[in-house]
Amino acid sequence: MSAVAAQRSLIGASLPRKEDDRLLRGDGCFTDDVQSAHQLEMAVGRCPFPHAEIRGLDVSPALALAGVEHILTGADVRALSAPLTVLRPVPGAPELPYYALAGERAIHEGQPVVSVVATSRALAEDALELIDIDYEPLPHVTDTLQALAEDAPVLHPGVLDSNLLARHEDRAGVPEERMAEADIVVGERFRINRVTAMAMEGRGVVARWRPGARQLSVYASTQTPHLLRHQLAESLRLDEGCIRVAASDVGGGFGQKLGIYPEDLLAALHAMALGRPVKWIEDRLEYFRASTHAREAVFDFAIGARTDGEISAITNRYTTDLGAWNSSFGSAQLSSVVFTGPYKLADAVAERRVAVTNKTPIGAYRGYGQPEVNFAREVLIDRLARRLGLDALEFRERNMLRPEDLPWKTPSGAVYDSGDYVKTLRMAGEAVGYAAHRAAPRRADGDGRLKGIGFASFVERTGYASARFLANRGSIFGAHESVTLRANRSGDIDLYTGVSTFGQGSETAFAQICAEILAVDYESIHVHAGDTASSPLNTGAFASRTLIAAAGAIREAADELRGKALRIAAWVLETAPEALEVSGQVVRLRDDHSRSLALSDIFTRAIIGQGIPPEETPGLEASAHYAPDEAAFSFGTAAAVVAADPESGEFSVDRLVMVHDCGTAVNPLLVEGQVLGGLVQGLGAALSEDLIYDPDTGQLVSGSMLDYFMPTAADVPPIELLHSEIPSPVTSFGERGVGEVGTIPPAAALANALCDALSEFGVELSRLPLTPESVWRALKNAKGANP
Amino acid sequence: MKAADFIYHRATGVAEALRYMEDYDGEARLLAGGQSLMPMLNMRLWRPAALIDINALSELAEVTAQGEETHLGALVRHATLETSPLIAARLPLLATMVRFIGDHQIRRRGTIGGSLVQGDPASEMPLGCLVLGAEINAVGPAGARMIAIEDFYDGAYATALEADELLTEIRFAVHPPHFAFHELCRRHNDFAVLSVAATGHFSADGGWHGLRIGLGGVNDRPVLAEASMALLEGSSLSDADIAAAGEAALGAIDPPSDIRGSAEYRAHLVPRYIAKALRDLRLSAQG
Ligand SMILES: Cc1cc2nc3c(=O)[nH]c(=O)nc-3n(C[C@H](O)[C@H](O)[C@H](O)COP(=O)(O)OP(=O)(O)OC[C@H]3O[C@@H](n4cnc5c(N)ncnc54)[C@H](O)[C@@H]3O)c2cc1C
Repeated sequence: MSAVAAQRSLIGASLPRKEDDRLLRGDGCFTDDVQSAHQLEMAVGRCPFPHAEIRGLDVSPALALAGVEHILTGADVRALSAPLTVLRPVPGAPELPYYALAGERAIHEGQPVVSVVATSRALAEDALELIDIDYEPLPHVTDTLQALAEDAPVLHPGVLDSNLLARHEDRAGVPEERMAEADIVVGERFRINRVTAMAMEGRGVVARWRPGARQLSVYASTQTPHLLRHQLAESLRLDEGCIRVAASDVGGGFGQKLGIYPEDLLAALHAMALGRPVKWIEDRLEYFRASTHAREAVFDFAIGARTDGEISAITNRYTTDLGAWNSSFGSAQLSSVVFTGPYKLADAVAERRVAVTNKTPIGAYRGYGQPEVNFAREVLIDRLARRLGLDALEFRERNMLRPEDLPWKTPSGAVYDSGDYVKTLRMAGEAVGYAAHRAAPRRADGDGRLKGIGFASFVERTGYASARFLANRGSIFGAHESVTLRANRSGDIDLYTGVSTFGQGSETAFAQICAEILAVDYESIHVHAGDTASSPLNTGAFASRTLIAAAGAIREAADELRGKALRIAAWVLETAPEALEVSGQVVRLRDDHSRSLALSDIFTRAIIGQGIPPEETPGLEASAHYAPDEAAFSFGTAAAVVAADPESGEFSVDRLVMVHDCGTAVNPLLVEGQVLGGLVQGLGAALSEDLIYDPDTGQLVSGSMLDYFMPTAADVPPIELLHSEIPSPVTSFGERGVGEVGTIPPAAALANALCDALSEFGVELSRLPLTPESVWRALKNAKGANP
Repeated sequence: MKAADFIYHRATGVAEALRYMEDYDGEARLLAGGQSLMPMLNMRLWRPAALIDINALSELAEVTAQGEETHLGALVRHATLETSPLIAARLPLLATMVRFIGDHQIRRRGTIGGSLVQGDPASEMPLGCLVLGAEINAVGPAGARMIAIEDFYDGAYATALEADELLTEIRFAVHPPHFAFHELCRRHNDFAVLSVAATGHFSADGGWHGLRIGLGGVNDRPVLAEASMALLEGSSLSDADIAAAGEAALGAIDPPSDIRGSAEYRAHLVPRYIAKALRDLRLSAQG
């Protein structure tokens, strides 16, 4: 690389996001912006009960309504399609057949039962009201653990004889023995709340079928166009070649928009029956019941240690709530992978049970089990430190893996690649003035509030450890990403990717890496994202894996394209390719810049096959697929500073500091955006968001924006981000994933800060969310226990 | 969700609006800011035969000083209360409280009349009007009548208005010199878990007179803590007075248990929030 090229490194530059211009001008193209001639709209009738037999259903009055074009029932769907498939089945578990509409029984409130297509959404909703459905409510169960009780109604009687879908154990060493030998053991039952991702754009789909062409075009708000295409083909029993899925701008994904949902299939079935485009746009109210929920789990977590403060064993026995069905991704799996966190111990076990309940299915959500288990472990770490009379920071530090311990195979079998965990802990401690806080006398402020500081450390898995690992876990997707680069006659590069754009900034990051390797202008890279008709087959954007995998593919494709362009230029300029360099829009001789050729000239020659060396074939494009060999592990520590009222339980979050390491930051602006966004979602889940089901009625009682306390911008406390940047040895540019990290530590850091503030009362917290009332109740319990 | 079918009328005067209401025989609804009405329509929880849009009735959008009194038209927007110098000078409690309603967008559209008629038990404007002892002017087919705010609510979301009556104006007597407001929300400017507004006069003798303490979110409507008010008459608002007043207020409440908080927690907070408001009053007299 020339000196000039070396100086212009785009990797690590906070380039403006390619996506922002159109988004800020209101020029994005979301699903509802797709308008087609003769378009119809779909509305879905949903079961109002948690569990009910459907004894009969009469659609004739609805069909008679002027403007109603088509209605599908459970029976129709069974005749026309196969059940929805699952991308990530639970290893070892039987399949739970999931049709797009309920048949004789519906097993959660909000389950689709009938769908209507009409000339407008309002009319389709009018029609739904005319459909008489004879429901016979059945006994239901909404509590995760009660679902596993002997007397619970079994929800999938044909397949399972209880509501336990699966049980899986990951273990190393002899944790039970170590636990028995430990000087001290702390254990607790932790309850993690059910929450939802709340993307700004809900789901949506527009399906269009041209019978003569046998072409189904589907525009969808999805993170995985190629996987959705595959799943549609399976359920529709159609050749994949007949289906195109395109996602233009997607208004947020967070894991919720992975794979197929019933409405995707329904819109396609209606469109195929009618030969007219059918649109369905999820509204916020149905979103609460129709899009996957997340996180809900009960952890029985225990840590054993010696009196000198060495952790000797961890047992992590937990039950995840699957909801009524296995959605495309099902309930979180990573609580079994990173449960020992940054700590050095050999003896540990994670037992995961998956329980079926009469609730909306659970799916992937930013973090996918990591925030949950982080809460249990890090809260107990503090509690253990208190019991041992040790400082929470020193106790953590003493047990953390050191850089020289890495790579380290954890008890779960994961291999941490590299990092300096202690460094992030110390940085967090310094940032919040922990030493001074420890030394200062405890005194209430003018409002009677006590100050507390809490920490939470984490190691996060980003990306997948190879397709072989995924195959072992039963997943039907790979670990790779792909890209096609195509030179055009303007001298620019078209970059095609199956990764849709949902706010993560991948258009920017991809263009940045591509421009860097080709040494062309960032502006000359045109990213075409999320269309299966033009992009190479890929996996999709999730699991903080996109950039890790895509960077390798971009590098390979760009090297190939650049090589050919330079060979052509060398032939024209009568020199050797090695004597040339690319600079912006030209190729020139390294030692004589006056001899140059415009990229547009070289690209045109290649594209039309005129004026190229005889041994070269026409065309200038390259595709590459790349799968990293290993997952990369991000890490860090968060610190929270709170002030809590020991009488009312009210508290304020005065500071939140996040120290994290995502290896090489390709674009620090994007990194900051990702971490901040994740932190705010983590704060929402930690402090206020809660999808509550009434145990008696089985109804979701916080199922609207009025009662689901998603934080607003004004609720976000001051957040400071501190970066450590240790390159990962297992990825192309040393990067680690960054998409999910923010969600992981806030809950534990806040709980620990509250327990620190209220330590004189012996307050202990073990359930989320942490609300003033829940802190007040914990205070009452503690005061009752130690009067 | 989309609203069920309805007919839309835009009234150009109060008389016309009343005529439409009569035409639909109680089956029509008035559309003011729409911030409570539209969600109810879209959820199909309300299905009026017609909407009668009163936004063009500029005569209902005025803020006027009538001698000692201040009159607010029913269509005065929350944002006007927030920014009007006249309100800041003459009804500072309302100007303070209105900032706790929702977001800017909601305050731009929402009206004081709509807020009062909506009658959410945790809502700010009904509580402010109660503490300030407002009077409400309503007109119907039989003419106009004045309703004291104390008599305006029959329960949660239920008012003394007849289905064919229109709220036109809210009248306020002279605003007391000292006032305070506190509320607890589950998130910024959400509907309150509970709220407390207080006003009073501090006299040269060192005593407080005519204290009014109102509570929101702890009953099916905003209520006055009358026992606390009586207890504090003439007092200096010492810490002991304040504590006693907080306890005395518990007789006035019948808090709900809902998603925002349990009855038990609300009851626990009432004396604390009363204390916050009364300490603020005391401080304002010192300043
Ligand atoms: C996101 C959000 C947050 C909010 N947060 C708060 C909050 O924190 N605190 C709070 O107090 N409010 C809050 N609100 C409600 C807001 O204050 C509304 O504006 C208010 O409740 C209704 O006023 P409106 O003018 O919008 O009335 P509309 O919605 O138009 O009408 C409400 C009802 O009053 C009737 N009505 C309106 N005007 C008259 C009249 N002149 N005579 C007779 N009947 C009439 C209507 O027919 C209807 O039944 C919030 C609303 C939203 C959407």
